[in-house]
Amino acid sequence: MAATTGLESFVDQIISVITNDGRNIVGLLKGFDQATNIILDESHERVFSTKEGVQQLVLGLYIIRGDNIGVIGELDEELDASLDFSKLRAHPLKPVMH
Amino acid sequence: MLFFSYFKDLVGQEVTVELKNDLAIRGTLHSVDQYLNIKLENTRVVDQDKYPHMLSVRNCFIRGSVVRYVQLPPDGVDVDLLHDAARREARGG
Amino acid sequence: MSGEEDATVREPLDLIRLSLDERIYVKLRSDRELRGKLHAFDQHLNMILGDVEEVITTVEIDDETYEEIVRTTKRTIQFLFVRGDGVILVSPPLRTA
Repeated sequence: MAATTGLESFVDQIISVITNDGRNIVGLLKGFDQATNIILDESHERVFSTKEGVQQLVLGLYIIRGDNIGVIGELDEELDASLDFSKLRAHPLKPVMH
Repeated sequence: MLFFSYFKDLVGQEVTVELKNDLAIRGTLHSVDQYLNIKLENTRVVDQDKYPHMLSVRNCFIRGSVVRYVQLPPDGVDVDLLHDAARREARGG
Repeated sequence: MSGEEDATVREPLDLIRLSLDERIYVKLRSDRELRGKLHAFDQHLNMILGDVEEVITTVEIDDETYEEIVRTTKRTIQFLFVRGDGVILVSPPLRTA
């Protein structure tokens, strides 16, 4: 029933996850389930700040619990490669307030 | 079921989804499921200067639980139909 | 068969049903308030409101005087779906017998 909304079209794609505590994690989607738990391979965190460009932290293989996920975006790799992250400045995202 | 059905009928239309972290994402409604998880296509963040966090994202899945509002297209709202559906829903579907 | 409205109120949601097509007040989490015409709702208090006015109240502390500065931001939205988990209270329109 939920097959249409599922994340199957994002599998084996690079995705950008926004977590409920305001973090941004990018990686290769290897799997997911009904509860939006996801498996991310070769993942890294993009840390936004107003003082310096975006820092990338290597995380590796992550399983993220669905309850802590806000948004899963499909990364356009060409578009992403055209961005200069060393020049991007922004406040980190706010946590989700339920 | 009321809103699940309602959003299914809205597929293909432009909506703005406002999240509980104040991020607002505009895009074409691609699909919805029973949890009111939403998939948008051709997305853009409304305030991209303040929120450059999704600059290279064009399609996204939004978890229903983080949605605060969805701004609806005016011609996607038939109020008489909604009133009847709401009364039916109140009687237990 | 909506012509004959059942006016009996046995539970809270009955009162909301009787507010359909009327302007209601909704208080939400994160210091938000809505006023708008109720077009649809369900048992979670998910709603669709029309001609909505949203008021957000923020409190800032003045850097020098440490006084609280209360600000309200208003905006209007033609049609809005509101997710029920953020709803604190719903107030039906005032009616006279």
